[in-house]
Amino acid sequence: MPPTDTPLIEADGLFMHYAIGDRNVPVLRGVALRIGAGTRVAIAGPSGSGKTSLLLLLSGLEQPAAGRIRIAGTDLAELDADGRADLRRDQIGIVFQSFHLLPSLSALDNVSLPLQMAGARGAREAASKMLDRVGLADRLQHRPSQLSGGEQQRVAIARALVHRPRLLLADEPTGNLDDQTAESVRDLLFGLNREFGTTLVLVTHDLAFAARCDRVLRLHDGQLHEAIIDRPTEPFGALSP
Amino acid sequence: MRFLLDLAWRDLRASGRRLWIFAACLVLGVSLVAAAGGLHRQVADALRQDAKLIFGGDVEIESAQPLPDDALDWMRGGATVSRVVELRTMLRTESGRAQLIELLSADAEYPLYGEVLLQPQGRLADSLALRDGQWGAAVDGALAQRIGLRPGDRIAIGELELTIRALVLRQPDRSLRADWGAAPVLVADGALMATGLVQPLSRVSYHYRVRTGQPATAWRDAFIAAYPALPAEVRSVDERSDRMAEVLGQIASGLLLIGFSALFIGGLGVFNSVRAYLQGKLTSLATLRALGLRDGRLAVFVLLQILLLAVLASATGAAIGTALALAGAQLVADRLPLTRVLHGLWQPALAAMLFGVLTALAFSLPALGRALSVSPAVLFRGVEGQSLHTPSAVRWLTAAVLVAMLQMLLFFLPDPRFGLAFVLATAALLAMLDLATRGLRRTAARLQHQAALPLPLQLALAGIQEPQSPLRTALLSLGSALTLLVACSLVVVTVLRTVNETVPTQAPALVFYDVQTEQIPLLGEILSSAHGLQAVRTAPLVLGRLIAVNGEGLQDSADGVRAREARDEHKLSDRSGNFDDVVIDRGAWWSEDHTGEPLVAMEDRESDQLGLKVGDRLRFDIMGQPIEARLAAIYSQRRMQSRLWLEGIFSDGVLDPFITRHVGAAWMPAEQTLDAQDRLAAVAPNIASARTESLLRETRALMGRASGGLALVAGVCLAASLLVLASVVAASRSRQVYDATVMHALGARHTLLRRVLVWEYLILAVVTACFASFAGSVLATGLLHWRLDSSPAGLYWTGLLTALCVSGLSLGLGARYLLSQMRLNPAQLLRSGG
Repeated sequence: MPPTDTPLIEADGLFMHYAIGDRNVPVLRGVALRIGAGTRVAIAGPSGSGKTSLLLLLSGLEQPAAGRIRIAGTDLAELDADGRADLRRDQIGIVFQSFHLLPSLSALDNVSLPLQMAGARGAREAASKMLDRVGLADRLQHRPSQLSGGEQQRVAIARALVHRPRLLLADEPTGNLDDQTAESVRDLLFGLNREFGTTLVLVTHDLAFAARCDRVLRLHDGQLHEAIIDRPTEPFGALSP
Repeated sequence: MRFLLDLAWRDLRASGRRLWIFAACLVLGVSLVAAAGGLHRQVADALRQDAKLIFGGDVEIESAQPLPDDALDWMRGGATVSRVVELRTMLRTESGRAQLIELLSADAEYPLYGEVLLQPQGRLADSLALRDGQWGAAVDGALAQRIGLRPGDRIAIGELELTIRALVLRQPDRSLRADWGAAPVLVADGALMATGLVQPLSRVSYHYRVRTGQPATAWRDAFIAAYPALPAEVRSVDERSDRMAEVLGQIASGLLLIGFSALFIGGLGVFNSVRAYLQGKLTSLATLRALGLRDGRLAVFVLLQILLLAVLASATGAAIGTALALAGAQLVADRLPLTRVLHGLWQPALAAMLFGVLTALAFSLPALGRALSVSPAVLFRGVEGQSLHTPSAVRWLTAAVLVAMLQMLLFFLPDPRFGLAFVLATAALLAMLDLATRGLRRTAARLQHQAALPLPLQLALAGIQEPQSPLRTALLSLGSALTLLVACSLVVVTVLRTVNETVPTQAPALVFYDVQTEQIPLLGEILSSAHGLQAVRTAPLVLGRLIAVNGEGLQDSADGVRAREARDEHKLSDRSGNFDDVVIDRGAWWSEDHTGEPLVAMEDRESDQLGLKVGDRLRFDIMGQPIEARLAAIYSQRRMQSRLWLEGIFSDGVLDPFITRHVGAAWMPAEQTLDAQDRLAAVAPNIASARTESLLRETRALMGRASGGLALVAGVCLAASLLVLASVVAASRSRQVYDATVMHALGARHTLLRRVLVWEYLILAVVTACFASFAGSVLATGLLHWRLDSSPAGLYWTGLLTALCVSGLSLGLGARYLLSQMRLNPAQLLRSGG
């Protein structure tokens, strides 16, 4: 599905700060953001710039000190904790840098979990197909500890997409992988994004990865700026921390 | 080294309360071991020191008749001799109350060792002497308090009236059974004869105590050699104190094993605690390694911390245990006239401390080795995903420490058989637990994908399959403690049922001894006026000795034990009158109308001691006449239900020529027994009677104390297991929070997260309770069959209920704590550093 102008994410005047001792350290200062459905957006910025905080706010895992966020037309401020959990369960998928698979569950169980939580029928069949899609049809019953890093991230991607979310949030998804594995994971992520038409918000330091997105946003001094990238010769080193 | 010691101490102090479970587990286990060891040491030392006091002499010769003069002359040749005549009879107060007593006549030499302490103070002989035509008596203090007697009161024994001149506050050879059955009343020889109770064939026993400069055993053997045919039992103080030491050793071994169980359970807490502590220190350890600290010095640094804490905790435990041992010895001293012996206390305290340090080492080393395998790479890549392993050298070292501990355990226990049984039982328990854990994980794996199960249950089933799940540790710690608790509850409940229901409904309310044949009609007549009298039965009681087995005379046996057995007097009766319900173990009863060859059934203890087999031909000596009979059966007593404790039962007619005395029993309401006893004592003072109710009252009081003790012991083990559980919960908290956070990020509501945790702990509680209920029931059943010949059948539900309640409560508290600590931190999942 090609990107559209219909916004899936709308955020205005986002403020967030962390308390360190008796001092409040501002992280986000009036961030505004509009991302159209089906768009692939990379968020870059130096360490401590607030990338993770923005991802936490967009997923409803934390709430801003001020400002509003609408995901697919739903104002997160109007939802209670259960409502936000339901929104994640139904509309959002998250891929973490450290995979965060549940160690007690097999690959198949991990992937079927979002569907089971939603009470969907045929959860295990759907999960099995998804694992087949990410190339792990022969690893269904393996536990995370029996899988390599690349395989674990594939399982995590399958888990994030199995319920066909409208929004996929990815936090340095290749940060813990070697170059070769990282490349295959990148291909997989973009391939599936294209196939499912999911909106992708990607936090990364990997400039090659960011360059494959439709937009690149830089977080600096608590504010978000659109980065103009000149593909393919843009010196991405400027985005490095 | 000094630098490392300083660093270790500062690091340990900075760790604050993180190792409190480690210390608490050790303190608890070590204090129990030190307390049990210290108490045993004090009592054993005191018994060794006071053995002659308690026994009453170096050698004792017990006979049913006075010894002949020539034997007495022989005895007095090189020793001092004191004669005590004992007789069970009734004491009657001025108000007409009758009470079963042990009447003792003491001569001028009594006691040979120690002294009798009287109130008012005075010489025993003066208190008992004939004064103004009245004989005096000294009454046991506890008995006087029970029936309200004071010095100056008048009492009647047999046909004699006496004045109580003193109460006995301390009597060196007072029987431990005095509180149960008949308490002692001391009178002079002359007074005893004046009671009219000493008649031919009455149940009087003559105890000749000997004080000699020779070794007691040598004197005993010389006496037996000089008078081989004398019908008397001869015992030396060594035999008696060996037996007491053996019983004491068994009790102490049992107590010590409970301490070791607490220490073993606590060891699991030590393991969890150290593992969690070191897990939090991985980065620091990696940093020290990255800074250039060599592997060996790094190991010493961590080991020093463990040892410092282990020594401090064990020393605290040893101090508490020693204080408890002193308090316990004070309690024992109230019941036993023992001298306090304190100088040996340091040994059990030191041993307990050593056990504490070794336990800490054995359970810490695997976690320590694992933590030391951390690579400085974690400083760059993070701790997560690091695969840590315990090096094989550390495993060997752990095994060596365990072996050393086991060897010490076998050496330290007074009865090594208990140690061996403990090691085997622990191994069996571990194997059973391992099987249970595997079985449960397999079942969980099978059930997990059942679509019919709710999702929280499926996730909980997945959780308990995880290697880090608290399943194994919870089963091991709480399971062991609950096993002990279930076994204790079942034993107590079964004994209470026997005391409160079985015995009162089945046993006679009154039992009579020394009923002469011509008094049987009188007995029936007096008892017939009691309301609700159901039955009166009498059985002949004849005393005799077993002198030959299959033609081989026991007296001629080269085996000393067998030879001395020929001197023991046995209580014999016939089957028709026997009202004690014994249990036939081997052989079978003869038919009721048997008239053929004389047959006999013997008690198992006696039979096993002599190695008798069904079919053996036995020859008895009864009143100087030989009686031959074939052994047709071997029986065991019903312990608590037993009244007569007969050692041999003959076929009817065999004993008839010798019957002059009987024992009797009456079944009637308990409230009628006091009156009946008083009426009988007034007209037939020679008949001694015992009320089952008063015996049961003493038994219940004893059971109350025993239950309190057992509850305390089980409580301490439970406390140890709760500490372990706390360490398990603390250790699994990070896993639970992590899992919950991931699920929450995937869209799980808080309700679902709570339900997963509740299911997981519910499964743990039920499995632990079922396991403990099964293992505890097996243990209690074995114990009850072995020691009391009773069965907890019909009461197993009490064990299950106890286990379910305690396990539910313990794990419920654990789950509640975890829920309260369930602070989700989604930011921990997003670690890109943004």
